[in-house]
Amino acid sequence: MSIALEYKKTKRTGLLAAFLGGGILAALLPILNMAVRSELYLDLSGSPLGILLNANWKMMAMLNILLILTGACMIYYTEYAENAIQRMNTLPIRESNLFFGKFLVLVVLSIFMLAMEAGGIAFCCLHWFQATSELYLDLLKNFGYFFLLLLPGMLLALLIGSACKNMWISLGVGVVCISVATMIPTDNFVLSLFPFSLPFQILEGSDRIIDFVIAAIIEIVLIVLAEEIFLKVRRLFA
Amino acid sequence: MKFLSLIGVELQKIRRSKILLILFLATIITWLPSILHADMSFNAIVSPEEDFFIQGFMAVVWFMFPATMIVNTVLLSQTERTNRGILKMLTLPVRTGTLCAAKFIILLLIAALQMLMTTAMYFISAAIVTQIHNYKFMLSPLFVLKEVGIIYLSSIPMIAVFWMLSVFIQTPIFSIGTGLVSIVPSVLMINTKAWFIYPMCYPFYVITSGYGDGSISISEIETFPWLPVAAAITLFCFIISCLRFGRAERRSI
Repeated sequence: MSIALEYKKTKRTGLLAAFLGGGILAALLPILNMAVRSELYLDLSGSPLGILLNANWKMMAMLNILLILTGACMIYYTEYAENAIQRMNTLPIRESNLFFGKFLVLVVLSIFMLAMEAGGIAFCCLHWFQATSELYLDLLKNFGYFFLLLLPGMLLALLIGSACKNMWISLGVGVVCISVATMIPTDNFVLSLFPFSLPFQILEGSDRIIDFVIAAIIEIVLIVLAEEIFLKVRRLFA
Repeated sequence: MKFLSLIGVELQKIRRSKILLILFLATIITWLPSILHADMSFNAIVSPEEDFFIQGFMAVVWFMFPATMIVNTVLLSQTERTNRGILKMLTLPVRTGTLCAAKFIILLLIAALQMLMTTAMYFISAAIVTQIHNYKFMLSPLFVLKEVGIIYLSSIPMIAVFWMLSVFIQTPIFSIGTGLVSIVPSVLMINTKAWFIYPMCYPFYVITSGYGDGSISISEIETFPWLPVAAAITLFCFIISCLRFGRAERRSI
Protein backbone atom coordinates (compact mmCIF):
# COMPACT_ATOMS: atom_id res chain seq x y z
CA MET A 1 0.00 0.00 0.00
CA SER A 2 2.43 2.64 1.14
CA ILE A 3 5.04 1.76 -1.47
CA ALA A 4 2.48 2.12 -4.26
CA LEU A 5 1.52 5.50 -2.84
CA GLU A 6 5.10 6.60 -2.57
CA TYR A 7 5.76 5.52 -6.11
CA LYS A 8 2.76 7.48 -7.31
CA LYS A 9 4.17 10.62 -5.73
CA THR A 10 7.39 10.27 -7.68
CA LYS A 11 5.59 9.90 -10.97
CA ARG A 12 6.21 13.39 -12.27
CA THR A 13 9.66 13.79 -10.78
CA GLY A 14 11.22 11.57 -13.43
CA LEU A 15 12.76 9.27 -10.86
CA LEU A 16 12.17 6.11 -12.86
CA ALA A 17 13.55 7.66 -16.04
CA ALA A 18 16.60 8.92 -14.15
CA PHE A 19 17.37 5.46 -12.78
CA LEU A 20 16.76 3.93 -16.19
CA GLY A 21 19.11 6.42 -17.83
CA GLY A 22 21.72 6.05 -15.12
CA GLY A 23 21.54 2.27 -15.31
CA ILE A 24 21.98 2.26 -19.08
CA LEU A 25 24.89 4.67 -18.82
CA ALA A 26 26.60 2.58 -16.15
CA ALA A 27 25.98 -0.61 -18.13
CA LEU A 28 27.48 0.97 -21.24
CA LEU A 29 30.63 1.95 -19.36
CA PRO A 30 32.31 -1.51 -19.26
CA ILE A 31 31.13 -2.24 -22.79
CA LEU A 32 32.65 0.98 -24.14
CA ASN A 33 35.79 0.44 -22.11
CA MET A 34 36.20 -3.05 -23.59
CA ALA A 35 35.36 -1.88 -27.09
CA VAL A 36 38.04 0.81 -26.98
CA ARG A 37 40.81 -0.81 -24.96
CA SER A 38 40.09 -4.54 -24.93
CA GLU A 39 43.76 -5.47 -25.55
CA LEU A 40 44.60 -3.85 -22.20
CA TYR A 41 42.37 -6.28 -20.31
CA LEU A 42 42.38 -9.50 -22.32
CA ASP A 43 45.94 -10.42 -21.32
CA LEU A 44 45.36 -9.97 -17.61
CA SER A 45 45.25 -13.06 -15.48
CA GLY A 46 42.30 -13.75 -13.20
CA SER A 47 38.61 -14.26 -13.66
CA PRO A 48 36.91 -12.13 -16.34
CA LEU A 49 34.49 -10.82 -13.77
CA GLY A 50 37.32 -9.70 -11.51
CA ILE A 51 39.12 -7.93 -14.36
CA LEU A 52 35.99 -6.16 -15.54
CA LEU A 53 34.92 -5.07 -12.08
CA ASN A 54 38.38 -3.88 -11.13
CA ALA A 55 38.55 -1.81 -14.30
CA ASN A 56 35.06 -0.34 -14.22
CA TRP A 57 33.34 -0.67 -10.88
CA LYS A 58 34.75 2.51 -9.34
CA MET A 59 33.06 4.65 -11.92
CA MET A 60 29.90 2.58 -12.00
CA ALA A 61 29.66 2.80 -8.21
CA MET A 62 30.14 6.54 -8.42
CA LEU A 63 27.25 6.80 -10.88
CA ASN A 64 25.11 4.60 -8.63
CA ILE A 65 25.72 6.55 -5.47
CA LEU A 66 25.26 9.91 -7.21
CA LEU A 67 21.98 8.74 -8.65
CA ILE A 68 20.80 7.41 -5.31
CA LEU A 69 21.71 10.65 -3.57
CA THR A 70 19.81 12.70 -6.14
CA GLY A 71 16.87 10.31 -5.93
CA ALA A 72 16.80 10.42 -2.15
CA CYS A 73 16.88 14.22 -2.09
CA MET A 74 14.20 14.43 -4.75
CA ILE A 75 11.91 11.86 -3.18
CA TYR A 76 11.83 13.78 0.10
CA TYR A 77 11.72 17.16 -1.58
CA THR A 78 8.34 16.29 -3.11
CA GLU A 79 7.05 16.19 0.47
CA TYR A 80 8.60 19.44 1.59
CA ALA A 81 7.67 21.46 -1.49
CA GLU A 82 4.26 23.08 -0.94
CA ASN A 83 4.28 21.71 2.65
CA ALA A 84 2.78 18.36 1.71
CA ILE A 85 4.60 16.81 4.67
CA GLN A 86 2.30 18.63 7.09
CA ARG A 87 -0.69 16.86 5.57
CA MET A 88 1.13 13.55 5.76
CA ASN A 89 1.83 14.17 9.43
CA THR A 90 -1.85 14.62 10.20
CA LEU A 91 -2.69 11.19 8.76
CA PRO A 92 -3.06 8.29 11.19
CA ILE A 93 0.19 6.67 10.08
CA ARG A 94 3.58 6.74 11.70
CA GLU A 95 5.99 9.22 10.25
CA SER A 96 8.63 6.55 9.88
CA ASN A 97 6.35 4.63 7.51
CA LEU A 98 6.89 7.43 5.06
CA PHE A 99 10.61 6.86 5.37
CA PHE A 100 10.32 3.11 4.81
CA GLY A 101 7.98 3.58 1.89
CA LYS A 102 10.45 5.88 0.20
CA PHE A 103 13.29 3.54 1.07
CA LEU A 104 11.48 0.63 -0.59
CA VAL A 105 10.90 2.68 -3.74
CA LEU A 106 14.61 3.43 -3.92
CA VAL A 107 15.45 -0.23 -3.23
CA VAL A 108 13.29 -1.42 -6.10
CA LEU A 109 14.71 1.20 -8.44
CA SER A 110 18.28 0.39 -7.51
CA ILE A 111 17.73 -3.35 -7.98
CA PHE A 112 16.51 -2.42 -11.42
CA MET A 113 19.62 -0.33 -12.01
CA LEU A 114 22.01 -2.98 -10.70
CA ALA A 115 20.34 -5.59 -12.91
CA MET A 116 21.08 -3.46 -15.97
CA GLU A 117 24.68 -3.07 -14.87
CA ALA A 118 24.98 -6.81 -14.32
CA GLY A 119 23.64 -7.22 -17.85
CA GLY A 120 26.36 -4.95 -19.19
CA ILE A 121 29.08 -6.87 -17.36
CA ALA A 122 27.62 -10.22 -18.47
CA PHE A 123 27.63 -9.03 -22.08
CA CYS A 124 31.31 -8.12 -21.80
CA CYS A 125 32.12 -11.54 -20.28
CA LEU A 126 30.33 -13.38 -23.05
CA HIS A 127 31.56 -11.24 -25.90
CA TRP A 128 35.23 -10.75 -25.07
CA PHE A 129 36.09 -13.55 -22.63
CA GLN A 130 35.40 -17.26 -22.58
CA ALA A 131 32.60 -17.31 -20.08
CA THR A 132 32.39 -20.30 -17.80
CA SER A 133 29.23 -21.91 -16.55
CA GLU A 134 29.76 -20.30 -13.16
CA LEU A 135 29.43 -16.82 -14.61
CA TYR A 136 25.81 -16.24 -13.66
CA LEU A 137 26.26 -17.50 -10.13
CA ASP A 138 29.32 -15.29 -9.68
CA LEU A 139 27.47 -12.35 -11.14
CA LEU A 140 24.61 -12.89 -8.73
CA LYS A 141 26.99 -13.13 -5.79
CA ASN A 142 28.86 -9.98 -6.77
CA PHE A 143 25.83 -7.86 -7.43
CA GLY A 144 24.13 -9.12 -4.28
CA TYR A 145 27.17 -7.91 -2.39
CA PHE A 146 27.08 -4.55 -4.19
CA PHE A 147 23.41 -4.23 -3.39
CA LEU A 148 23.90 -4.87 0.32
CA LEU A 149 26.76 -2.37 0.50
CA LEU A 150 24.66 0.21 -1.31
CA LEU A 151 21.92 0.14 1.35
CA PRO A 152 23.69 2.06 4.18
CA GLY A 153 24.51 4.92 1.81
CA MET A 154 20.95 4.95 0.53
CA LEU A 155 19.55 5.08 4.06
CA LEU A 156 21.94 7.83 5.07
CA ALA A 157 21.03 9.87 1.97
CA LEU A 158 17.36 9.45 2.86
CA LEU A 159 18.06 10.43 6.46
CA ILE A 160 19.75 13.62 5.26
CA GLY A 161 16.88 14.22 2.84
CA SER A 162 14.29 13.80 5.58
CA ALA A 163 16.16 16.15 7.89
CA CYS A 164 16.44 19.12 5.54
CA LYS A 165 13.56 21.13 4.26
CA ASN A 166 15.57 22.67 1.46
CA MET A 167 16.87 20.44 -1.26
CA TRP A 168 20.12 22.32 -1.73
CA ILE A 169 21.13 21.65 1.88
CA SER A 170 20.47 17.91 1.69
CA LEU A 171 22.10 17.73 -1.73
CA GLY A 172 25.03 19.82 -0.54
CA VAL A 173 25.64 17.69 2.52
CA GLY A 174 25.32 14.53 0.43
CA VAL A 175 27.74 15.82 -2.18
CA VAL A 176 30.26 16.67 0.53
CA CYS A 177 29.86 13.15 1.96
CA ILE A 178 30.39 11.54 -1.46
CA SER A 179 33.46 13.58 -2.20
CA VAL A 180 34.87 12.54 1.18
CA ALA A 181 34.10 8.95 0.20
CA THR A 182 36.02 9.31 -3.06
CA MET A 183 39.07 10.43 -1.13
CA ILE A 184 39.05 7.40 1.18
CA PRO A 185 41.45 4.67 0.00
CA THR A 186 39.51 1.43 -0.53
CA ASP A 187 42.11 -0.67 1.26
CA ASN A 188 41.69 1.16 4.55
CA PHE A 189 39.13 -0.96 6.37
CA VAL A 190 38.03 1.40 9.14
CA LEU A 191 37.61 4.44 6.87
CA SER A 192 35.88 2.34 4.20
CA LEU A 193 33.07 1.69 6.64
CA PHE A 194 31.77 5.19 5.95
CA PRO A 195 28.34 4.46 4.40
CA PHE A 196 29.04 6.43 1.22
CA SER A 197 32.34 4.68 0.54
CA LEU A 198 31.02 1.13 1.02
CA PRO A 199 29.59 0.94 -2.54
CA PHE A 200 33.12 1.26 -3.94
CA GLN A 201 34.13 -2.13 -2.46
CA ILE A 202 34.58 -5.09 -4.79
CA LEU A 203 33.89 -8.71 -3.87
CA GLU A 204 36.58 -10.27 -6.08
CA GLY A 205 39.93 -10.46 -4.37
CA SER A 206 38.71 -9.00 -1.11
CA ASP A 207 39.60 -10.88 2.07
CA ARG A 208 37.26 -9.02 4.40
CA ILE A 209 33.93 -9.84 2.80
CA ILE A 210 32.31 -11.11 5.98
CA ASP A 211 33.49 -8.04 7.89
CA PHE A 212 31.99 -5.72 5.32
CA VAL A 213 28.69 -7.62 5.28
CA ILE A 214 28.42 -7.47 9.08
CA ALA A 215 29.40 -3.81 9.10
CA ALA A 216 26.82 -2.98 6.44
CA ILE A 217 24.06 -4.72 8.40
CA ILE A 218 25.05 -2.95 11.61
CA GLU A 219 25.07 0.39 9.79
CA ILE A 220 21.63 -0.27 8.33
CA VAL A 221 20.22 -0.95 11.80
CA LEU A 222 21.96 2.09 13.28
CA ILE A 223 20.79 4.49 10.58
CA VAL A 224 17.20 3.24 10.81
CA LEU A 225 17.32 3.71 14.59
CA ALA A 226 18.79 7.19 14.14
CA GLU A 227 15.99 8.12 11.76
CA GLU A 228 13.33 6.85 14.20
CA ILE A 229 14.84 8.85 17.05
CA PHE A 230 15.30 11.92 14.86
CA LEU A 231 11.65 11.88 13.77
CA LYS A 232 10.48 11.48 17.37
CA VAL A 233 12.64 14.33 18.58
CA ARG A 234 11.64 16.60 15.73
CA ARG A 235 7.99 15.94 16.45
CA LEU A 236 8.50 16.84 20.10
CA PHE A 237 9.98 20.21 19.27
CA ALA A 238 7.88 21.04 16.21
CA MET B 1 16.22 48.72 -12.15
CA LYS B 2 19.95 48.95 -12.46
CA PHE B 3 21.87 45.75 -13.01
CA LEU B 4 23.83 46.24 -9.81
CA SER B 5 20.71 46.57 -7.68
CA LEU B 6 19.35 43.42 -9.34
CA ILE B 7 22.44 41.59 -8.19
CA GLY B 8 21.87 43.03 -4.74
CA VAL B 9 18.34 41.65 -4.76
CA GLU B 10 19.58 38.22 -5.78
CA LEU B 11 22.15 38.28 -3.00
CA GLN B 12 19.43 39.20 -0.53
CA LYS B 13 17.43 36.14 -1.61
CA ILE B 14 20.15 33.66 -0.77
CA ARG B 15 21.22 35.39 2.43
CA ARG B 16 19.69 32.84 4.74
CA SER B 17 20.35 29.83 2.53
CA LYS B 18 23.32 28.59 4.61
CA ILE B 19 25.10 27.87 1.35
CA LEU B 20 28.33 29.46 2.55
CA LEU B 21 28.24 27.19 5.59
CA ILE B 22 28.04 24.12 3.36
CA LEU B 23 30.84 25.41 1.14
CA PHE B 24 32.96 26.14 4.20
CA LEU B 25 32.34 22.63 5.53
CA ALA B 26 33.26 21.20 2.14
CA THR B 27 36.50 23.19 2.05
CA ILE B 28 37.61 22.10 5.51
CA ILE B 29 36.79 18.45 4.85
CA THR B 30 38.72 18.33 1.58
CA TRP B 31 41.88 19.71 3.13
CA LEU B 32 41.93 17.35 6.11
CA PRO B 33 43.24 14.29 4.18
CA SER B 34 45.89 16.49 2.56
CA ILE B 35 47.15 17.51 5.98
CA LEU B 36 47.15 13.92 7.21
CA HIS B 37 48.91 12.54 4.14
CA ALA B 38 51.35 15.39 3.67
CA ASP B 39 54.30 13.01 4.18
CA MET B 40 53.42 11.32 0.86
CA SER B 41 54.45 14.54 -0.88
CA PHE B 42 58.09 13.74 -0.14
CA ASN B 43 57.98 10.87 -2.67
CA ALA B 44 56.53 12.95 -5.51
CA ILE B 45 58.22 13.78 -8.80
CA VAL B 46 57.80 17.49 -8.13
CA SER B 47 59.07 19.23 -5.03
CA PRO B 48 57.07 18.43 -1.85
CA GLU B 49 55.56 21.88 -1.48
CA GLU B 50 54.38 21.85 -5.09
CA ASP B 51 52.99 18.35 -4.71
CA PHE B 52 51.09 19.40 -1.60
CA PHE B 53 49.53 22.29 -3.53
CA ILE B 54 48.59 20.13 -6.53
CA GLN B 55 47.23 17.20 -4.51
CA GLY B 56 45.14 19.47 -2.33
CA PHE B 57 43.64 21.40 -5.21
CA MET B 58 43.09 18.22 -7.21
CA ALA B 59 40.93 16.85 -4.40
CA VAL B 60 38.88 20.04 -4.46
CA VAL B 61 38.67 20.54 -8.20
CA TRP B 62 37.97 17.02 -9.40
CA PHE B 63 34.63 16.49 -7.69
CA MET B 64 33.89 18.84 -4.80
CA PHE B 65 34.00 22.12 -6.68
CA PRO B 66 31.86 21.10 -9.70
CA ALA B 67 29.38 19.25 -7.49
CA THR B 68 28.90 22.19 -5.14
CA MET B 69 28.38 24.39 -8.20
CA ILE B 70 25.46 22.13 -9.13
CA VAL B 71 24.14 22.51 -5.60
CA ASN B 72 24.35 26.28 -6.11
CA THR B 73 22.32 26.11 -9.30
CA VAL B 74 19.71 24.13 -7.35
CA LEU B 75 19.75 26.82 -4.70
CA LEU B 76 19.24 29.60 -7.25
CA SER B 77 16.42 27.89 -9.07
CA GLN B 78 14.61 26.41 -6.07
CA THR B 79 14.50 29.63 -4.03
CA GLU B 80 12.52 31.09 -6.92
CA ARG B 81 10.19 28.16 -7.26
CA THR B 82 9.09 27.91 -3.64
CA ASN B 83 5.95 30.01 -3.24
CA ARG B 84 6.18 30.89 -6.93
CA GLY B 85 8.68 33.67 -6.37
CA ILE B 86 9.63 33.58 -10.02
CA LEU B 87 6.14 34.72 -11.05
CA LYS B 88 6.58 37.86 -8.96
CA MET B 89 10.00 38.44 -10.46
CA LEU B 90 8.60 38.07 -13.97
CA THR B 91 5.98 40.77 -13.33
CA LEU B 92 8.69 43.34 -12.61
CA PRO B 93 9.66 45.71 -15.41
CA VAL B 94 12.94 43.84 -15.87
CA ARG B 95 13.92 41.83 -18.90
CA THR B 96 14.17 38.14 -18.17
CA GLY B 97 17.56 37.98 -19.82
CA THR B 98 18.86 40.56 -17.35
CA LEU B 99 17.44 38.53 -14.48
CA CYS B 100 19.16 35.45 -15.77
CA ALA B 101 22.44 37.31 -16.17
CA ALA B 102 22.19 38.59 -12.59
CA LYS B 103 21.72 35.06 -11.33
CA PHE B 104 24.67 33.86 -13.36
CA ILE B 105 26.83 36.60 -11.85
CA ILE B 106 25.75 35.40 -8.39
CA LEU B 107 26.79 31.90 -9.33
CA LEU B 108 30.22 33.16 -10.41
CA LEU B 109 30.44 35.14 -7.18
CA ILE B 110 29.75 32.05 -5.05
CA ALA B 111 32.34 30.13 -7.07
CA ALA B 112 34.87 32.90 -6.45
CA LEU B 113 34.08 32.84 -2.73
CA GLN B 114 34.59 29.11 -2.63
CA MET B 115 37.93 29.41 -4.42
CA LEU B 116 38.98 32.10 -1.95
CA MET B 117 38.00 29.88 0.98
CA THR B 118 39.94 27.00 -0.55
CA THR B 119 42.98 29.22 -0.97
CA ALA B 120 42.72 30.43 2.61
CA MET B 121 42.47 26.83 3.78
CA TYR B 122 45.51 26.01 1.64
CA PHE B 123 47.59 28.60 3.45
CA ILE B 124 46.35 27.42 6.84
CA SER B 125 47.00 23.75 6.10
CA ALA B 126 50.37 24.51 4.52
CA ALA B 127 51.30 26.35 7.71
CA ILE B 128 50.16 23.36 9.79
CA VAL B 129 52.15 20.77 7.81
CA THR B 130 55.17 23.07 7.82
CA GLN B 131 55.03 22.88 11.61
CA ILE B 132 54.49 19.11 11.68
CA HIS B 133 57.18 18.05 9.21
CA ASN B 134 59.65 20.84 9.79
CA TYR B 135 59.80 21.50 6.06
CA LYS B 136 58.58 24.62 4.33
CA PHE B 137 55.41 23.60 2.45
CA MET B 138 54.35 27.15 1.69
CA LEU B 139 54.54 28.33 -1.92
CA SER B 140 54.82 32.02 -2.63
CA PRO B 141 51.39 33.65 -2.20
CA LEU B 142 51.65 35.49 -5.51
CA PHE B 143 52.21 32.23 -7.38
CA VAL B 144 49.33 30.49 -5.54
CA LEU B 145 46.93 33.33 -6.25
CA LYS B 146 47.86 33.33 -9.92
CA GLU B 147 47.30 29.57 -10.25
CA VAL B 148 44.01 29.72 -8.36
CA GLY B 149 42.94 32.57 -10.63
CA ILE B 150 43.63 30.44 -13.70
CA ILE B 151 41.71 27.51 -12.20
CA TYR B 152 38.80 29.82 -11.45
CA LEU B 153 38.73 31.30 -14.94
CA SER B 154 38.92 27.83 -16.47
CA SER B 155 35.88 26.76 -14.47
CA ILE B 156 33.63 29.48 -15.93
CA PRO B 157 32.63 27.45 -19.05
CA MET B 158 31.71 24.54 -16.75
CA ILE B 159 29.58 26.79 -14.56
CA ALA B 160 27.87 28.17 -17.67
CA VAL B 161 26.99 24.64 -18.77
CA PHE B 162 25.57 23.76 -15.35
CA TRP B 163 23.56 26.98 -15.34
CA MET B 164 22.18 26.22 -18.78
CA LEU B 165 21.21 22.72 -17.62
CA SER B 166 19.32 24.07 -14.62
CA VAL B 167 17.50 26.69 -16.71
CA PHE B 168 16.79 24.38 -19.60
CA ILE B 169 15.68 21.23 -17.78
CA GLN B 170 12.67 21.94 -15.62
CA THR B 171 12.61 18.59 -13.83
CA PRO B 172 15.20 19.02 -11.06
CA ILE B 173 16.26 15.37 -10.98
CA PHE B 174 17.39 15.49 -14.60
CA SER B 175 19.27 18.76 -14.33
CA ILE B 176 21.01 17.65 -11.13
CA GLY B 177 21.56 14.11 -12.37
CA THR B 178 22.95 15.18 -15.75
CA GLY B 179 25.25 17.66 -14.06
CA LEU B 180 26.58 15.23 -11.45
CA VAL B 181 26.99 12.42 -13.95
CA SER B 182 28.86 14.72 -16.35
CA ILE B 183 31.55 15.28 -13.71
CA VAL B 184 32.46 11.60 -13.49
CA PRO B 185 34.03 11.13 -16.96
CA SER B 186 36.28 14.18 -16.56
CA VAL B 187 38.99 11.82 -15.25
CA LEU B 188 38.90 10.02 -18.58
CA MET B 189 38.60 13.17 -20.66
CA ILE B 190 41.75 14.85 -19.38
CA ASN B 191 43.80 12.01 -20.85
CA THR B 192 42.36 12.34 -24.32
CA LYS B 193 43.42 14.71 -27.08
CA ALA B 194 39.94 16.20 -27.29
CA TRP B 195 39.85 17.38 -23.69
CA PHE B 196 39.13 20.95 -24.75
CA ILE B 197 35.62 20.12 -25.98
CA TYR B 198 34.56 18.97 -22.51
CA PRO B 199 34.15 21.98 -20.19
CA MET B 200 33.66 19.84 -17.08
CA CYS B 201 37.29 18.76 -17.16
CA TYR B 202 38.93 22.18 -17.70
CA PRO B 203 39.76 22.97 -14.05
CA PHE B 204 40.92 19.42 -13.44
CA TYR B 205 43.04 19.51 -16.59
CA VAL B 206 44.59 22.78 -15.53
CA ILE B 207 45.62 21.49 -12.12
CA THR B 208 46.87 18.09 -13.30
CA SER B 209 48.89 19.63 -16.13
CA GLY B 210 51.12 20.82 -13.30
CA TYR B 211 52.66 17.34 -13.21
CA GLY B 212 53.73 17.70 -16.85
CA ASP B 213 57.50 17.90 -16.82
CA GLY B 214 58.50 17.69 -13.20
CA SER B 215 57.78 21.26 -12.27
CA ILE B 216 54.50 23.04 -11.98
CA SER B 217 53.96 25.37 -14.83
CA ILE B 218 50.24 25.71 -15.27
CA SER B 219 50.55 28.73 -17.51
CA GLU B 220 52.16 26.65 -20.25
CA ILE B 221 48.95 24.96 -21.38
CA GLU B 222 48.32 25.24 -25.09
CA THR B 223 45.77 27.99 -25.44
CA PHE B 224 44.76 27.10 -28.96
CA PRO B 225 42.20 25.64 -29.68
CA TRP B 226 41.22 25.62 -26.03
CA LEU B 227 40.43 29.32 -25.49
CA PRO B 228 38.22 29.85 -28.58
CA VAL B 229 36.30 26.64 -27.87
CA ALA B 230 35.85 27.55 -24.20
CA ALA B 231 34.69 31.06 -25.07
CA ALA B 232 32.26 29.69 -27.63
CA ILE B 233 30.81 27.18 -25.17
CA THR B 234 30.43 29.83 -22.47
CA LEU B 235 28.76 32.31 -24.78
CA PHE B 236 26.45 29.68 -26.26
CA CYS B 237 25.31 28.42 -22.86
CA PHE B 238 24.90 31.94 -21.50
CA ILE B 239 22.83 33.18 -24.43
CA ILE B 240 20.67 30.06 -24.53
CA SER B 241 19.91 30.24 -20.81
CA CYS B 242 19.11 33.97 -21.02
CA LEU B 243 16.69 33.27 -23.87
CA ARG B 244 15.04 30.34 -22.13
CA PHE B 245 14.85 31.80 -18.64
CA GLY B 246 11.29 32.03 -17.32
CA ARG B 247 9.77 30.48 -20.42
CA ALA B 248 8.27 27.45 -18.68
CA GLU B 249 6.74 29.58 -15.94
CA ARG B 250 5.09 31.85 -18.49
CA ARG B 251 3.57 28.92 -20.27
CA SER B 252 2.11 27.37 -17.12
CA ILE B 253 0.10 30.45 -16.09
